[in-house]
Amino acid sequence: MEASSSTPEFDYLFKLLLIGDSGVGKSSLLLSFTSDAFEDLSPTIGVDFKVKHVTLGGKKLKLAIWDTAGQERFRTLTSSYYRGAQGIIMVYDVTRRDTFTNLSDIWAKEIDLYSTNQDCIKMLVGNKVDKESDRVVSKKEGIDFAREYGCLFIECSAKTRVNVEQCFEELVLKILDTPSLLAEGSAGVRKNIFKQKPPETDASTSGCC
Amino acid sequence: MDSKIGNFFESVGHFFSGGDQIPWCDSDIVTGCEREVAEAGKGSSDELKSECIMRLSWALVHSKRPEDVQRGIAMLEASLGGSNSPMQMREKIYLLAVGYYRSGDYARSRQLVERCLEIEPQWRQALTLRKTIEDKITKDGVIGIGIAATAVTAVGLLAGGIVAALSRKK
Ligand SMILES: Nc1nc2c(ncn2[C@@H]2O[C@H](COP(=O)(O)OP(=O)(O)OP(=O)(O)O)[C@@H](O)[C@H]2O)c(=O)[nH]1
Ligand SMILES: [Mg+2]
Repeated sequence: MEASSSTPEFDYLFKLLLIGDSGVGKSSLLLSFTSDAFEDLSPTIGVDFKVKHVTLGGKKLKLAIWDTAGQERFRTLTSSYYRGAQGIIMVYDVTRRDTFTNLSDIWAKEIDLYSTNQDCIKMLVGNKVDKESDRVVSKKEGIDFAREYGCLFIECSAKTRVNVEQCFEELVLKILDTPSLLAEGSAGVRKNIFKQKPPETDASTSGCC
Repeated sequence: MDSKIGNFFESVGHFFSGGDQIPWCDSDIVTGCEREVAEAGKGSSDELKSECIMRLSWALVHSKRPEDVQRGIAMLEASLGGSNSPMQMREKIYLLAVGYYRSGDYARSRQLVERCLEIEPQWRQALTLRKTIEDKITKDGVIGIGIAATAVTAVGLLAGGIVAALSRKK
């Protein structure tokens, strides 16, 4: 019975989180990354997650990617899913300035408040670059914000899939480069946390995930 | 390559959260939402109150504790009768479907998901839930519906009263 857990099917498990205003394309990015599809999506209700396996830098990785609702009415709910994340992806829409200004007004603050992980890698993503003629936030502005905030940066399109894989790849490579995050994500440590049985886990004391 | 990922998905889903890709909600989140509802009871606008109740329902039906799930179902059923925008209605039906899925009443859950998809055929979260239910039905067969349904009705009456009392307080 224990066969599957004694030979883990991955070397590391990482928790990634997608945040940003409603409509910027978080769920679309995730869908594009996990199943190569693009369609018109409805706003996410609460939170959603997908799992994807990748092999990077010779390591077998399992990515648990949590997709949060951007709508404000869900905020107190979504903020509880920041804890334990090794990577946080902040998404804005290059055709909507308010989604960019909200990064510093809202999202960066949310990370400071709710992320439990000091070394957590942050990534800024400007989405919808396929709509180049509607663009109102320049690439330089994105770069400047990322530099100031000390995070990675990429522009992409969930629709054309330009840079979608690169986005997740860069983030994960950086996590792999960070010893403390690597230790958290190693299969041995994780096993107990994720072998949770539905009825009973005491989240208030686990401190992670 | 892609089909391989698909397979992985299945086995991984299991290991990761007890067999599906529907998120869990920790008990401290439920507690937090509960507190919000209690605070909103004291003189907040109806809109704010219904937002709090919405979050609490979400937390309850995604909770790991069966009694929370039952309470969530009861709350949602009680609030379906009230005045709802089509959007709110749709969300509540979806959350009810999650609740019934978690309590093991797959037939009822599926019925509700179908209703969501009638309203919005391409709704991703609802599609994922339907797929999850279908997988479960083929795996487990459809057992235990009677038990779950009875429990729901009993708890439903109780919690319905609580919600009604809460909304009367204002
Ligand atoms: N042209 C274009 N449209 C996109 C792109 N990404 C997303 N969209 C569209 O933008 C809309 C919103 O996308 P979602 O993925 O639902 O946005 P979200 O950030 O998940 O929104 P919430 O769940 O409410 O937080 C959808 O209609 C998508 O089709 C893109 O790269 N290019
Ligand atoms: Mg979404």
